[in-house]
This record gives sequence, C-alpha cells and structure tokens, in this order.
Amino acid sequence: MKSSAIRPIALVLSRELMITGLLLLGVSFVVFIILFASPGDPFSVLLEGQLSTGEVRAGVREAMGVPRSWTKQYLSWLGGMLTGNFGTSIRMGLPVLPEVLRVGLNTLILTIGSLIITLLIAVPIALYSAVHGTDKISWPLTMFSYVISALPVFWLGYIVIYFFTHKLGLFPLAFGFSSAGQKYRWLYQFLPIFVLGVGNGTISEVIRFLRQEMGRVMAEDYIRTARAKGASVWRHSFKEGLLIPVTEIVASKIPFILGGAVIVEQVFNWPGMGRMAWQAAQDRDYPVIMGIAILAAVLVRMGSLFQRVVYVLVNPRASKE
Amino acid sequence: MKNYSQISGEISEFSEQPFWKNVDGVDLAYVGYGLLIVTLVVGSYILGLFHLLPRDPQDIDLGLMMAPPGTTGHLFGTDFMGRDMLSRLIVGIQAYFLPGLLAIFIALFFGTVLGVLAGYRGRKFDTGILYFTNLVDSFPRLVLILLVIAAFKPDIYYIMLVVGLTNVPVVTSLIKGKIQFLKQKNFIEADIALGVPTRTIILKHILWHNCRSLLIIQATLGMAEAILMETSLSYLGFGVQEPTPSWGNMVQSGSNYFMQGKFWPSTAPALAILFTILGFHLLGDGLNNILEGKRNA
Repeated sequence: MKSSAIRPIALVLSRELMITGLLLLGVSFVVFIILFASPGDPFSVLLEGQLSTGEVRAGVREAMGVPRSWTKQYLSWLGGMLTGNFGTSIRMGLPVLPEVLRVGLNTLILTIGSLIITLLIAVPIALYSAVHGTDKISWPLTMFSYVISALPVFWLGYIVIYFFTHKLGLFPLAFGFSSAGQKYRWLYQFLPIFVLGVGNGTISEVIRFLRQEMGRVMAEDYIRTARAKGASVWRHSFKEGLLIPVTEIVASKIPFILGGAVIVEQVFNWPGMGRMAWQAAQDRDYPVIMGIAILAAVLVRMGSLFQRVVYVLVNPRASKE
Repeated sequence: MKNYSQISGEISEFSEQPFWKNVDGVDLAYVGYGLLIVTLVVGSYILGLFHLLPRDPQDIDLGLMMAPPGTTGHLFGTDFMGRDMLSRLIVGIQAYFLPGLLAIFIALFFGTVLGVLAGYRGRKFDTGILYFTNLVDSFPRLVLILLVIAAFKPDIYYIMLVVGLTNVPVVTSLIKGKIQFLKQKNFIEADIALGVPTRTIILKHILWHNCRSLLIIQATLGMAEAILMETSLSYLGFGVQEPTPSWGNMVQSGSNYFMQGKFWPSTAPALAILFTILGFHLLGDGLNNILEGKRNA
C-alpha cells in the first residue's frame, strides 16, 4: 500500500467508527425502548400468581437492585453491555453473550458463504448483460433471476433436502446437524449455504444494480479512450464498474441475508443466531433476542464500514467529503 | 452514441409525447403479468371476504387426502386433511392483504414526509434524517420483528408496522433524490418567485406531478415485501395459526408430508407465493422502466 493512501483511510476509518458507534448507541436505545414499552416486564413473570400490588413490585425491584427510573435502567443495561454483560437467558439460565457468540460464528459462515454464492450467480449474468445488452441469452437469465428471487426460501430448502436425502440417499432421514454421515458432512453443511445464497430473494436486485453500474461505467469517456488506445477495458472498468458496486450492494443486503438466515437455519436445523432468535421469540426470552438484535446490528454496521473503506481505497478523494 | 442518447433523453423528458409512445415490449409484458396478479389477488380477497368460495375451507374429507390438482370437485386438489386447496388459497389472502396495505401506507406516508423534509428543507433536517434511516437499516428486518414479537405478541398488525417502518428509508431516499433533482430545474424557483404557497409547491407540483409514479412503484414493491414477511412469519409459526389458512402456514403444515413424496400440500401455496411475489416485482420494475424511463439495457 502506498503511504499516501494511508492517511485518508485512517481519517475515514476514525470518522466511520464514530458514526458506527453513534448508530449502535441508537440501536441499543431502540431495543431498550421496544422492551420498555412492552406490556409486562420480567417481574410480572417472577410475580405470576402472587398478589402483585404496586408496593410488592417496587419491593421486588428494590431487592433485586433494579433502578426505578427508565434512564437509570437504560444506562445500567448499556454499561453492562459495554463490559460484555448482556444479561442471562431466561430459558437457558446461561449468560447471553457467550451463547450468542458461539452460534453467531455458524451464522457468519452461513451468511458469508451464501453471499459468495449469490455473487457467483449474479456477477456473470450482470456482466454479460451489461456488455451485450438484452439478447437471446441474457433475457432468459434475467427472467430466471426474477423467478429465483420470488421463490420462497423454505420451500426451496425442502426440495433440496428431499432431493439429497431421498433421491440420492446421501443423508440420514433424521435431520440434525451432527447426524449427517461423515463422508458427506461437507455437502450437508454446504446445502444451507447454497439454499440461502440462491433463495435469499436479492439476486434480481443485485443483478439489476450491477448491470446498471457496469453499463454506466462502460459508457464513460475514459473507457472509450482506453478502448481507442488498445488498453484493457476490463482493467479500467473493474474498480468503478464492479468492485465498488459489489461492495455497496453486499453491504446493503446483509440485513436481508441475516433475515433469510433465520428461515434457512430453521429449515436445516442449522445451529445459528437465527434459530436461537426464533426460539427466544417463542419463549419470550428477552435478553437473548436483545443480544442477537444488537450483534446483528453490529454485523450490518461492520459491512457498511467495510464498504466505506473499499470506496475510499479506490477513490481517495472521497475522504475529503 | 452516448451524446446522442443523452440529447434524445433530454428532449423526451420535456416533450409532450405521452409515455406509452416508446414503451419496451418486455416492460409491457411485465406490467401485464403484474396487473393480472393484482387483479387475481384483489378479486380473490373480495371473494374470500364474502365467503364466495368453491368449498368450505375447513371442510375435512379424510377420504380424499392430498388429491392432485384437477380432481373432480377440487380444481387445485386437496391438502393433507382433504380440505379444498383452492378455497384455502383464496382465504389465505386475508392473512396479508389488509396488513400489507397498512405496511405500504406507513412506508409511503412517513417516507414521503421525511423525504420532503430532507430534500426540500435541506441541511437542517438532512443529518437527522440520515441518522434515522441508517439506524433503521442497521436492523435485519426479521430479527427486529422477532424482537417485537417477543416483547409484545405475535400479531400481524404489529409485524406489518415493523415492515412498514423498515421500508421508510427506501422511500425517503427516493423522494429526497427526486426533489434534489427537481430543484435543479427552474420551476420550483419560479414557483417561489411567483409566490405560490409552499404547500401547493410540495403537494401539487412536486409530489403529485413528479413523485406519483415513484410512490406507486414503491407500493407494489412494498406489497411483495409484505407478502414475503407474512408468509415467512406464518411459516415460522408466528403468524396466522392453523386451522385458519395462510400461505405460509400451509407450506409449513404441508411440509411434514413433503419428505414422504407428497409434494402438493406444500407446493401449491409455495407456487402461489412465488407467482404473486413475482407479479408484484415485475409490476414494480416494469412500471419503473416505463414511467421513470430507467431501462438500463
């Protein structure tokens, strides 16, 4: 890396980190407000069946050291989170953070893997139709991308499971992460990634965006110049026409893919954050789902931080904006 | 090439030619299919509302379980309890139709208000609104919905409230961008110089004349979003509960038989989801290409 490139990056990184911090503060506040506004708090669960007058409630709160005012409640919760204390799961009785981080890794594998699958499908189609326009090959491909994007991901999961367990007989019928045969274990772990990558519902949008950006860059004067002097068009168009749009669309689609992960993890019994969130929503296990919402937001923010860094690397002028 | 298309683009922008003069056939096909789906959905919703169904959707016929489509008396076959599939699909629309409209309304209303504030009023509000939209975009929608479900109750109207609110940023940025584009033209300045009230400028000259088609497009895409969310959540067991049909819980309950090779009970609602969401997507994109001139081939 050239030394002249480091300063703008450091500048952008520090500024973006500050914005990220501010946004995550907002995220924690939104999460807190949602739970604060909800009818019934954990105390009503604790006091169920007892005479819960206002005095009794206040007494319990006092005994458990819960501050009375909501600002103090928020601050103590926030302080706890900053020191790594996300609370204790009501259902599992375990600290939330280690549990969520443990399954979060699985979700990260699933999400990043499926993003790669999505790009592997979308980029060639987008590049082809950006260069060739609408023709006999790109039109059916576009149609195909529309259909794929409208496909309900859970149903696609069933088809894939049926095909591999029944038709090919590669996996045992009882579905569970560990019960897969050793030989095809990698395939068993690959299937959910594939299904989420194909069925997350963003492919047609990704293709449209990439094609539009690539088409725009292809019409630029400097590409014409490159072509005229016999230089590589690809090398001149790669950064602005592909790299930046790809990071942009990936960063903006991470929330969707995390959402899709909730469903795919359910279909495939993938032990990830989405499944844990589902279970927590069933049990009304607040601390767990709060932790997951905040960690998911951290992931999303990291994605856009990454996008900004790539953008500035390619285009250092942007750091002065 | 580029210069020519640029010039012709500018001319067509100001020409009095009606927009259907140079419409791409593909876009027309998209819109046609989309309108067909919209008609089917709205028509079926009304049929379901007045219980004008081929059969009683709760009528169990254990002698005729999982009949294939085309069986006499059951055009779309039956599900795993012998209930008429067509009737259940029609009634299933009730699960998302009105809640979906609510989500669309929320997204369009708040998105427009914020977009106008950010675009027309500029700087003062811009930073705050940008912060808000980034904040909303930080949450994966489904996770936020699960949080709300855990905090309140799995009610479809709460869910659609979240869907609507999470769609606000898209509408906001589109309206804002449109207004910033319009501001470069002279007519807003002329309006101000002529003393046209701000209300008229914003409501009539900006929103009605220039953002109408944009909002319609967002509405159709919003409906696709709402259907996707409703089916996903009722698939996950948080939406409409059996025996009341919803496309999502039909796929879910039919899935138990999927592994036995009985595909139809979960495939029929899955296809309904597929064709409907496809219809709204194509309608939105086709309209976008026709009305906003965004064909980018």
